[in-house]
Amino acid sequence: MEQLAYAAYGLYLVLILTGAWVAVRCRNLVRALLGLIMTLFGVAGMYFLMAAPFMALMQILIYVGAVSVLIFFAIMLTRTSGGQAGEEDGGARPALRTVLALLSGLLPAAILAVVILTKASQSLPLKPEMPLGRLGQFLTGPYVLAFELISVVLLAAMAGAVVLGFERRKSA
Amino acid sequence: MSPLALFHLAALLLLGFGLYGLTSRRSLVGMLISVELMLNGAGLALVASARLTPASDELGQLGTLLVMGLAAAEATLVLAMVLVAAKRWGTSDSDRLSMLKG
Repeated sequence: MEQLAYAAYGLYLVLILTGAWVAVRCRNLVRALLGLIMTLFGVAGMYFLMAAPFMALMQILIYVGAVSVLIFFAIMLTRTSGGQAGEEDGGARPALRTVLALLSGLLPAAILAVVILTKASQSLPLKPEMPLGRLGQFLTGPYVLAFELISVVLLAAMAGAVVLGFERRKSA
Repeated sequence: MSPLALFHLAALLLLGFGLYGLTSRRSLVGMLISVELMLNGAGLALVASARLTPASDELGQLGTLLVMGLAAAEATLVLAMVLVAAKRWGTSDSDRLSMLKG
């Protein structure tokens, strides 16, 4: 059984790695978005592996269902100077830029990896799956303020997006 | 290696890829995709810590839910901003959007 869990972990890790690689390297933004979706499914699989199915379903619902559709709209509604939607501008990437970007990605990751590998606390055996009702009680009990605040943030973001969209049409 | 460290390393990979993409991408939409990668790594690390350490299970899952909500709000707002930038300057290339008031 444990070998099976490790095999599933490896499969999801491959999904995440391939998707993330495509998402950051592919010149075509639609393909990069597909890489992001692949990564999101991999992370959802990891949630399932941790016996948190609600998180996995929320991941698929919110990220794959809503956020990636939003990003797809953003890709389709913007064009580069070449008049092509979904293509990133510019010819070959300058080598210096890639090296600096690699450095900025690798350095924090390496430091944190050292911390994880040396200071790792012993991991417990997996807790039993948490019933969804407890999450609801938690959300409407001690953490009701966070719940209300995130609602206000979402409302403000949507109202702001609508206002920005109208302003664009007026000034054009 | 403990399962906790394995999950944290996966989250760390997402953070590294996201940072790399954020600095190497030129278009604003590509940068948004990289930010989503990083936020996903944060959620993964939170849930892993909640499930595999004595920390409160509800708190970790709730935190990840809030991260997802924030990511949705952020994507909405960034979509509107990218549209305004593309409309005003005709490009969403971060190298050319260098003026504060154009």
